[in-house]
Amino acid sequence: MKQEIKTISQNEMGIFVNKLIQNDHYEVVGVKSKGERFVFDELEDANELRLDYDVTILPPKKYFLPQYEKLMDFDLKKNFDVKTKFDNKPRIIIGVHPYDIVALTQTDRVYLDDQKDDFYKKRRENTIIIGIDIQKVSERSFSASLGTHITDTGFDLMLTNLGNKYAITIGSQKGKLLLNQNASTDEATDDEIKKIAKIHIELPSKYKKKLKVTDENELSSLLVANYENALWEERSDRCLECSSCTMVCPTCYCYDVKDEVSLNLEDGTRLRTWDGCLLRDFTKVGSGEVFRDEIKDRYRHRFFRKGNYLTQRYGFIACVGCGRCSTACLPDIADPCDVINELHSFGGKGNKDKFFLKQQIDFLEKGTIHVPRKATITRIEKLTDSETLYEIELDDKKPLGHKPGQFVELSLFGIGEAPFGISTGPSQNSKFELVVRKVGNLTSKLATLKVGDSVGIRGPLGNGFDVKSLEGKHLLFVSGGTGIIPMRSLIEYCLDKKNRDKFKYIKILYGAKRPCEVLFQKEINEWEKCLDVSCRLTVDTCSGGECWVGSVGLITTLFPKLKVERIDPKNTIAIVIGPPVMYKFVIKCLQTLGVPEKNILVSLERRMKCGVGKCGHCQINGIYVCREGPVFNYADIKGLPEAFE
Amino acid sequence: MKKPRVAFFDFASCEGCQLQIADLEEEILDLINIVDVVSFREVMKEHSDDYDIAIIEGSIMRPIDEGRLKEIRENAKILVALGACATIGGINKIRNQWTPSEVKKEVYGNYNLKGNDFFDVFQTKAVDEVVKVDYNIHGCPINRDEFKKVITSIAMGKNPEIPNYPVCVECKKNENICLFELGKFCLGPITRAGCNSICPTNGSPCDGCRGILKKPEVECINDILERYNLDYEEMKRRCNIYNYGKEVCK
Ligand code: SF4
Ligand code: SF4
Ligand code: SF4
Ligand code: FES
Repeated sequence: MKQEIKTISQNEMGIFVNKLIQNDHYEVVGVKSKGERFVFDELEDANELRLDYDVTILPPKKYFLPQYEKLMDFDLKKNFDVKTKFDNKPRIIIGVHPYDIVALTQTDRVYLDDQKDDFYKKRRENTIIIGIDIQKVSERSFSASLGTHITDTGFDLMLTNLGNKYAITIGSQKGKLLLNQNASTDEATDDEIKKIAKIHIELPSKYKKKLKVTDENELSSLLVANYENALWEERSDRCLECSSCTMVCPTCYCYDVKDEVSLNLEDGTRLRTWDGCLLRDFTKVGSGEVFRDEIKDRYRHRFFRKGNYLTQRYGFIACVGCGRCSTACLPDIADPCDVINELHSFGGKGNKDKFFLKQQIDFLEKGTIHVPRKATITRIEKLTDSETLYEIELDDKKPLGHKPGQFVELSLFGIGEAPFGISTGPSQNSKFELVVRKVGNLTSKLATLKVGDSVGIRGPLGNGFDVKSLEGKHLLFVSGGTGIIPMRSLIEYCLDKKNRDKFKYIKILYGAKRPCEVLFQKEINEWEKCLDVSCRLTVDTCSGGECWVGSVGLITTLFPKLKVERIDPKNTIAIVIGPPVMYKFVIKCLQTLGVPEKNILVSLERRMKCGVGKCGHCQINGIYVCREGPVFNYADIKGLPEAFE
Repeated sequence: MKKPRVAFFDFASCEGCQLQIADLEEEILDLINIVDVVSFREVMKEHSDDYDIAIIEGSIMRPIDEGRLKEIRENAKILVALGACATIGGINKIRNQWTPSEVKKEVYGNYNLKGNDFFDVFQTKAVDEVVKVDYNIHGCPINRDEFKKVITSIAMGKNPEIPNYPVCVECKKNENICLFELGKFCLGPITRAGCNSICPTNGSPCDGCRGILKKPEVECINDILERYNLDYEEMKRRCNIYNYGKEVCK
């Protein structure tokens, strides 16, 4: 496509910028100096602009995903009062380098996907980007190797310094209009257009750093081949776990969400803030478990995200070579160029999509992401010392519309949000049940609520069970501990009179720690009465005085009995849900029984924060548990090293 | 809901952290709306031993302090350590490089202090070296916003979230020029965040007043010292200001 190109004298350029600054409609930001470095900041005069800069400390992502962003305000005096905050300020950003423009278009793919982020979208729509071709290459940059040193899309206007004047390439109608209304320009001559091309062609020679692998497929496969390479540990031994490398990165966009309440305990804000995958708490769940506990694994994760996980998902290398991370990392171990070149020296070809799973997703959250719907607690029942059942109804009285195995995010303003597997089967009833174990802030607070109190609900989220694929099969349910909670949604579905004929015999194995921790005993008694249903329970330990008729021992002790009963393994689907440690052992038992891998379904727990594939917390290698899961076919994910550690 | 009763106590400290709270100005009214302050020497004369939350400022330096602190712990449902002297021992721990008798000799010469409990000192301890601490409000001085966060959390019945990540996270969000680039040794990478990187933002390196999170590997320290042409002794001196006796500082 031929782009329209204008020119403007240096002097006219200053007038143009000042005109924009004086226009109250816009907030005008541009590159300014800060000591020896550069930053994007609000402009008061065109003279402050430093279009000759090398790189800014932070990328312009701060204008689209601010460091601290108010998502909504709430009023705790009222039962459920929440107001979403959108930033509608029209903004012009002047002086964005091509690599940062490319980074933004990459972030668009994530934030404007099928579950788009309206907070981001509004900012994106309200911002005009005036780019500038790189005049001084930053010491640590390798963007030319990735082809992100120039770009012909993603901007409204793009400046190129031709010495005595700037060339302005028009990238959008918005940009054209802005220029026409505020500047006097000339048409670029053929010579000037040639000059731009020459600048673009000569730019790569100014780079000191060069990547040895630049093809995304080659990089993806090289990373997979070197997943276990000793380099990860050798380098990460020196890591400070500061996550500076992700904070300054234009393509890192993971975040945390927190509630803040003012000292009057009345009003508060739900805040989104940058988070980093190098920080240990990044994968920590309510029960205290950390899923990427070793720094080696977190360090490696960042590179895999850049060169494999996101690459397989979106098709691009999620690093634009700006070099900011290399500058920011004090022990100088974060430089992707160094790491990739070192990997190149080892070589190797791996199966590039080994860590990724293409999967249709069930549910796309409607409405604005992160904004919960109002719901009311309609019944509370204490099940055990630590577990309580909450029956909840959405205030619009509509059924939740979930599939078995899906989850919701339950929100208490002022405290926060946490994910819970839905415990009841799908139904036309507007009520559904969650069973909550008291482990953290949210669940402790929940314990103080009464029937009639309001909560916020987001969802249903995630991929549930594909019930069609279970039809005509024998079903073997294996659950440990709280795994029975989401499991119940599928069991109820299968035992529903409408559906029972679709399945053959149903066997339920359930293990709890102690008799007093057994959940749903009443329901289990009912299930057992159904035709062709058997339930076997076991407890890890049973102290004297406790009345218990089931087995004693780990869940695996129930399997030999199945053998005696001669099940038909090839036509059995096993559904396994339990604590992380359980899977390895149960899957072994299933394999001994002869159940094929592709007949094993599991549901995994990770830190689900956004629930819509953005915040990055729930990742298992290249997959998002909140999006592609939590229900998975074992055969699909057994190759993921982070799945069943 | 009954308002929790709060009492402030001071041990070896400059009382600057309590002053930070006294300085809340109008917000102090919000504070007394959500809690009953029953003892606070900085702003009131009355005192009561009937409290739910004890807020302790200062380090523990003497046997008589230890006894008093244990009593407070017995009385309180929740005990909060306030400020670096209480949470990590802070600058009071610098004294630990000498024995108690050396210290006494240095300060009081040959003056006879035998039998006087007030002068009977041992090596400085942080509060959690004597009793169980439920929550720490770090810093020298504390960050008022964090104090508010902890108090509102307790009043709402939730555990306050104190960052487990280093100051660099906040410093990066504040878009500061890293002080290493300016030739200064900063403890931000290994110090607990929560101060909103106030020192680096204002051009002074982090001194580690919120406590050290991690002991970096020797290779890492050496690489950094070499890359930025910094001095090992300077690093050690800086580490010892608030964290004397911590392994990373030895
Ligand atoms: S910036 Fe360097 S030291 Fe800090 S987390 Fe990243 S790799 Fe580790
Ligand atoms: S990984 Fe480093 S070089 Fe690549 S885009 Fe991020 S900050 Fe820039
Ligand atoms: S100035 Fe200190 S806190 Fe800030 S990034 Fe540098 S080392 Fe970290
Ligand atoms: S990406 Fe946020 S929870 Fe999955």
